[in-house]
Amino acid sequence: MNKTTEIVIVGAGAAGSMYAAMLAEAGKSVTVLEGGPPWRPADLYSSQQWARRLKWAEPHAEEPAGVSLWFNFNAGRGYGGAALHHFGVWPRFHEEDFKESSLYGKGIDWPLEYQDLRPYYDRVQADIGIAGDAEAEIWRPDGDPYPLPPVPRFAQGDILKKGFELRGMHTAPVPVAVLTRPYKGRSACLWDGWCEAGCPIGALGNPLVEYIPRAEKAGAVLQPHSQVTRILTDKRGRRATGVEYYDAQGERNELHAEFVVLAAFGIENCRILLNSASDRHPDGLANSSGLVGAYVMSHASANLFGMFDADTQNHMGLNGGQIINQDRFGKVRQDGPFGSRQFIAGLAVKPNDLLGIAMSRADLFGTKLDDFMHRAVRNMTNMVTISEDQPLRSNRIELSRHQDAHGLPLAKIVYKASPDALALWHDGVAEGKKILAAAGAKEIWNSPQGAQHIIGGTIMGDEPAESVTNKYSQTHDIDNLFIGGAGVFPTASAANPTFTLHATSMLSAEYLRDNFDSL
Amino acid sequence: MTTTRRSFIRGTGLGLLSFTVAGSAVMLTPRDARARGASFQVLNNEEVELTEAFGEALVPGARESGIAHFIDQQLSVDANDALLMIKYFNVQPPYVDFYRTGLTALNNYSRTVHDKPFTALDDETANALITTISNSIPEGWEGPPAPLFYLMMRSDAVDVVYGTVEGFERLGVPYRPHILPPDL
Ligand SMILES: Cc1cc2nc3c(=O)[nH]c(=O)nc-3n(C[C@H](O)[C@H](O)[C@H](O)COP(=O)(O)OP(=O)(O)OC[C@H]3O[C@@H](n4cnc5c(N)ncnc54)[C@H](O)[C@@H]3O)c2cc1C
Ligand code: SF4
Repeated sequence: MNKTTEIVIVGAGAAGSMYAAMLAEAGKSVTVLEGGPPWRPADLYSSQQWARRLKWAEPHAEEPAGVSLWFNFNAGRGYGGAALHHFGVWPRFHEEDFKESSLYGKGIDWPLEYQDLRPYYDRVQADIGIAGDAEAEIWRPDGDPYPLPPVPRFAQGDILKKGFELRGMHTAPVPVAVLTRPYKGRSACLWDGWCEAGCPIGALGNPLVEYIPRAEKAGAVLQPHSQVTRILTDKRGRRATGVEYYDAQGERNELHAEFVVLAAFGIENCRILLNSASDRHPDGLANSSGLVGAYVMSHASANLFGMFDADTQNHMGLNGGQIINQDRFGKVRQDGPFGSRQFIAGLAVKPNDLLGIAMSRADLFGTKLDDFMHRAVRNMTNMVTISEDQPLRSNRIELSRHQDAHGLPLAKIVYKASPDALALWHDGVAEGKKILAAAGAKEIWNSPQGAQHIIGGTIMGDEPAESVTNKYSQTHDIDNLFIGGAGVFPTASAANPTFTLHATSMLSAEYLRDNFDSL
Repeated sequence: MTTTRRSFIRGTGLGLLSFTVAGSAVMLTPRDARARGASFQVLNNEEVELTEAFGEALVPGARESGIAHFIDQQLSVDANDALLMIKYFNVQPPYVDFYRTGLTALNNYSRTVHDKPFTALDDETANALITTISNSIPEGWEGPPAPLFYLMMRSDAVDVVYGTVEGFERLGVPYRPHILPPDL
């Protein structure tokens, strides 16, 4: 069945729901095609096992074993996307993240500066509600103070804070998109650590609490179980005319639109663009630069664990943590790797799941595991080191020879963390262990290298030959095609990306709204 | 919390899943499904026995907590609705292929090295074998990568033993749910 709308948005996650709200509120007819189910808060059960329904089963990407981008861990399925069960840690990118090439001769400059995005950060934080202590965050760039008071500390937060202090390091309450008191009709957090299963009371600022309700109220139509496979173009290949998608019955449909916003998460965005190849665009859509898929990045991360004599109350608080340290955010260090790194400490944990207590010692089984579990639930602390990755042309998304149920190639991930990221990772692990030792940990261990967040693949830039979109996330090649999400970031920073992708998406949606008739 | 309420939520966290007892569909926890002799949909007897023995060796209590019933029930539902840890690991559904070939590999490997199925090994020998497969793909292992199979079976065992309201209680951690999983 073929239908029409003014704007079709692919994906009802963090970026897609922002576009949907802003454009529907501007009176545009908006349809959001979402590949997964129509989750609502009442579907979010406090269970690590049930949280896995929020994940895709079929691989969307062919991924080598070992350290890669961890697509299935990082992606989400259904309304809210990965942001539905994200942890809400929302630091801002720093000024130098936007101009690493001109300042240091590394990375790639953004076509934007921090000051261009600052008003959008401020507006997003007022919309969603961020808790933090701006003054205590001595590293934070300019910005409005947070609308909500900071998160409280529980025992493990106190213990780890002391460890940082004894190493001469500063901490601040972690800035989070979580309500420390009621805000705009939403309830305050209960500090029970079920964020990864999705917060059904709306304390955590996921798409279900702000931008999806606003979009629906303004008349946007959200259509679940609608898997977009290709973007359609006119005969001359100059404009997008809509999208091809498969509905819950497996039927092929087309939805025609004046504008297409691709917000299906970084790797899937690349896959859809590459699968949209045509006579006019033999290498894929919006790919005249040959850079669709290139410069894909992640954050090399490790969880660092300590066992203490004290009761650490590690079941209390947020999965996102309690305190942040960005003392090592400066890009350049003598004889050291380039780039930023940060620690987030005091992450609440549950006994099971990928980031749970049992998995922290995957080598243990039998009675040794049982003994460990009984101690760890009471005495373990949890912190994470997050390192900046560098944009490398060799790290990329291609099309795989494996196909999905509709006969379209999956994405193929070709990725190896950059040498700088790896070296920062090692530094972060070593320093984290010293912090834990200073705090008095009796046993210290760390997880293997992980990949948190997926960034890049459709980067923005001023030059059409060197980037896929302009600063408004509008593709250079196709005027009426926009890309939402962290895929447009030319550098990764060490800061978690979701606050920044809300800011870039808001800027982009506003540009589209204001130039709707002329684009 | 009253005793009645406590016994009602016993084992949830995993929710009540659909099992077949004496020909009728009943909503049960995997633990209760095992206690009531619910029939298996996917795994055969040998696979059930092996799943229980391996699960128990990985996490004490897994057998009684219904690990075989949990995995079997999960293998019978649409992969997108599955609650299994394997979803994070980019394995192509149907997941039954992964479990079935993994179980076969485990038994074959045990037979090759010890001349007996895994279920007949004494604890010490079983533990040594598990250590080997947890960190390497030993010669003669034919199936999914041995460490991944170890990790998935261990995760499923952790889920049924520790990842339930009852499991939390045993560990002394308050469960503090917002919404408990429904009966499906
Ligand atoms: C466990 C976890 C914790 C995290 N914690 C943090 C954190 O603390 N701080 C932070 O900054 N970030 C965090 N993140 C990352 C954050 O979730 C992502 O940065 C963010 O969700 C990305 O937004 P997006 O709009 O690009 O993608 P998503 O929010 O994932 O939305 C993409 C949407 O597109 C849909 N979709 C996919 N393919 C198709 C298709 N073909 N057709 C139609 N629809 C499709 C998906 O179902 C999904 O709804 C976390 C992620 C995870 C997994
Ligand atoms: S800890 Fe707070 S934000 Fe997380 S699930 Fe509980 S109430 Fe929601």
